[in-house]
Amino acid sequence: MKNLIRLVLIYLMIVSCQKTPEFPNSKYTLGGGVFVVDEGNFKAGNGSLSFYSYDSSKIYNDLFYSVNGRPLGDVPNSMAIKGNSAYIIVNNSGKIEVIDQSTLKSTATITGLISPRNISFINDNKAYVSSLYSDSVTVINLINNSISGYINMRRTSESIAITGYKAFISNWAEGKEVMVINTLTDQVVDSITVGIEPESMAFDRNGMLWVLCNGGWTRDNYAELVEINPTTDYIEKTLVFPTKDDSPTCLKIDVLGKTLFYLNNGVRQMDITAAEIPSGTFINQESGEYFYKIGINPIDNDVLVTDAVDFVQQGYLLLYTSSGNLVSKLKAGVIPGSMCFRLTLNN
Amino acid sequence: MRNTLLYIAIFLSLPLHGQMSIGTDTIKINEVVISRNKYNSDPAGYKKTTIDSSILVNYNNSNLSDMLSENTDIFIKSYGMGGTATPAFRGTEASQTLIDWNGININSPMLGQSDLSLIPVGLIDDIQICFGGGSMALNNGGIGGTINLITKPVWEKETLVSINTGTGSFGMYSGLIKVKTGNKKFQTVTKGYFQNAENNFRYLNAEIGSEPVWQTRTNSQVRQEDFIQELYLRNSNNIASARIWYQSADRNLPASLLTPPNTGEKQFDESLRTMLNYDAFRGTTNFSFTGAWMMSRLNYFNRLASIDSRNLSETLTLKAGLENPIGEYAKLKIVLDEQSNIIKSNNYNHYTTRNTATLTASVERNRNRFGTTILFREILDNSTLLIPDFSAGVQFRLIDNKAYYLKANISRNSKIPTMNDMFWVPGGNPDLKNEYALIYEISFEMSRKISDPLNIKYDLSVFRYNIKDMIEWHPGEYSYWTADNIQSVNTTGAESSVSLDYMHNKINASLKAGYSFTRADEGGSNIGNDISVGRQLMYIPENKANASFSFGYRNIYSSWVANFNGKRYITVDNSKYLPGYFINNLSTGIKFTLKSSSVDMNFNINNLFNINYQSIAFYPLPGRSYFVKILFQIVK
Repeated sequence: MKNLIRLVLIYLMIVSCQKTPEFPNSKYTLGGGVFVVDEGNFKAGNGSLSFYSYDSSKIYNDLFYSVNGRPLGDVPNSMAIKGNSAYIIVNNSGKIEVIDQSTLKSTATITGLISPRNISFINDNKAYVSSLYSDSVTVINLINNSISGYINMRRTSESIAITGYKAFISNWAEGKEVMVINTLTDQVVDSITVGIEPESMAFDRNGMLWVLCNGGWTRDNYAELVEINPTTDYIEKTLVFPTKDDSPTCLKIDVLGKTLFYLNNGVRQMDITAAEIPSGTFINQESGEYFYKIGINPIDNDVLVTDAVDFVQQGYLLLYTSSGNLVSKLKAGVIPGSMCFRLTLNN
Repeated sequence: MRNTLLYIAIFLSLPLHGQMSIGTDTIKINEVVISRNKYNSDPAGYKKTTIDSSILVNYNNSNLSDMLSENTDIFIKSYGMGGTATPAFRGTEASQTLIDWNGININSPMLGQSDLSLIPVGLIDDIQICFGGGSMALNNGGIGGTINLITKPVWEKETLVSINTGTGSFGMYSGLIKVKTGNKKFQTVTKGYFQNAENNFRYLNAEIGSEPVWQTRTNSQVRQEDFIQELYLRNSNNIASARIWYQSADRNLPASLLTPPNTGEKQFDESLRTMLNYDAFRGTTNFSFTGAWMMSRLNYFNRLASIDSRNLSETLTLKAGLENPIGEYAKLKIVLDEQSNIIKSNNYNHYTTRNTATLTASVERNRNRFGTTILFREILDNSTLLIPDFSAGVQFRLIDNKAYYLKANISRNSKIPTMNDMFWVPGGNPDLKNEYALIYEISFEMSRKISDPLNIKYDLSVFRYNIKDMIEWHPGEYSYWTADNIQSVNTTGAESSVSLDYMHNKINASLKAGYSFTRADEGGSNIGNDISVGRQLMYIPENKANASFSFGYRNIYSSWVANFNGKRYITVDNSKYLPGYFINNLSTGIKFTLKSSSVDMNFNINNLFNINYQSIAFYPLPGRSYFVKILFQIVK
């Protein structure tokens, strides 16, 4: 009994503290590579930032926390680089973390956004940010990192694609349109009705805009790939997926702008001239893997895939050659998602 | 769709794996109570503790979550003041712990769990905690255990009126009124409770900037009202009772430190629970009948995410029991329990019903120093007969006429899936199997008088659970999550508690200490290379301890309650954790008695050392706070 009391007292006196990750090797995080935005779980605050370095062939995890000493936020969704700054859109924290893209030190935090998803830069001064739950696109002033206005689309927004003075913005959540905004006036000038839930977009070598419409989670509708002429805002071609069970996501295009990539139970590819959706799989998803996002290296066409595993444990970054051979599988953060390449510096 | 996914995520975030417990002690009951409810009798070989009114009276203005976390080893996962709180018993999930009201389960049939922050302790007379297989005498599905909230009469010819009001930090005020009257044959009890709290406490936010900043908690207001009416009638061979409990709670849900506080997240809970009970004693045979109808409404609203989820469940329970002696030393009990659920929810495809019938037969035998219990159970879930459950316990008194007991039991206990697991849209899976656990437990209990005014009690238990076919939500083939039986969990642990009581002349003192160790890890999964296999489950502390010292001299009393929760991992690979915390509360008061009335004034300091801590990551808990209360009571 005395021993028991002593044991209890010893336990009462133990005060544990949280581990601080080691500061990453800056030599490698400075060089060329790809950032992976680890979303983490909704409301758990375990989102983080990883960086795969082509120089060291290693992945560095939890970088935002180790550089800035605080968590990145709840569900970071995407990241984009402009000049020396990188913008991380933190969806459920309603904020954008602006960091120095080389040192990764926080330079500003833009708060007060409603469920932001993706950022696109109009010019050196202005960016648009899409929103999952509000019906407006937020306009960001990049000079002083503040919200300068809103463009009311009367619809939610997701993917943003810019060409000339036009921004094409997809209305994903419960929508079926691509809205067209004049980037000089910040006004909605047109809307194009596409398939159900337009989710991601890419421009091809001919300047055509490809829109991947997921079809909606209830699988009551077919998914579609829609080709839009951005000059006329007319639909050039619509390819319908063969079954309602097809639930494609995350449209990307190769360096030449010739081959489209997307996820649909594995990585699929399609030539832009194809007359129908091809049936084969480019990279198979193995049992226990959950392919979540895809990235195409803009220099060598290598294919990168994130594997969210069970959405609870740490996921992986899978590196494949441009011909689809697995090179390595590296442990990232929880729910590794969008990728952002940084290949211009020191390369 | 995103809305629905978010809502699932919210519900998934509630039942994370929890931990286990040990009741602190058995407390002697001063009042003479004639309670012959046969469902609640104590089978030999199992661990059960009771927390009676002498402890509960200190928590008249608190909720069950605070009382359990300070007095037992049940780990409570709390989102903080204003947020929800769920129990974790011996490393099991919140839905594997049953909360009963007089032996009838009151967990939501949709979520399968109860929010302990909504149960006012002041309305409850006794709390029974049945561990592991010991809960099977009450219900099925309490793999971790069952917490039985008992409301009961005192068969005296007297009238008691008690009014308890209190106010404290963070805009908290509450009131409890009880009126009991009757005689040896009839009793009526009326209770009303009301609580309002702003919960606008200050906390240090170290998560959003490079320097920590002080902030005030927002969107955490709670307003709650409860009303209970009970009627009891008896004669020499019959006891009948009718009970009704209405509850309404309106609250804003505070946000994580990493999310904007202005999401407009709120929840409205309303429930109406009614129960009729009749016990008849015919010769050597006892019969018991209970009918209960319960309605529970849960509306969740999130302006930002445009979620407006409305859920209404109704549960009808009919329970009939028979108890008959077999020979001189044994008795047979048979209980038939029939439960039907009806759910109306805008998150289900249609009006959904379920019917569960359970037949339980048990034999208990006590002779000389040996006691044994054998229990056998068959569940009919809709039209499916489940694999039968069983439990067997043995008890041995080590020395004649001394309270030194050795107990051991082995059980198989099934839990049918929750209605959300089966019917939530999207992802609910109507083909789920039931979860089941094999439970092994050995315990030692003793109590003895050291010298005349000094008594000691001690217990030690060791347990092992193998939980199979655990239901987990996981990403499915399409863009939404789905529920499946994919996990197995093993928990191993030990609980121990000691208490010393001293009562002499005008002094009474009591020292209690409890410690528990729980190792709960994922035994297997269908994911290749699953890094969570063999790791401690998230949010289950390996170590938990509590201690209290109370002292009274004449009409002055004081008590100190301390509890420690060890580190809790917040990632499945155990790479990150929340540090342990050690919280101290002090309470002191003075009692005046004048003829038939008494006044008790009490002052509390909670979190005495102003510790900054979190039970769930990024949900701050309050620092030092104060509470003053006055209890006024008249007995005639």
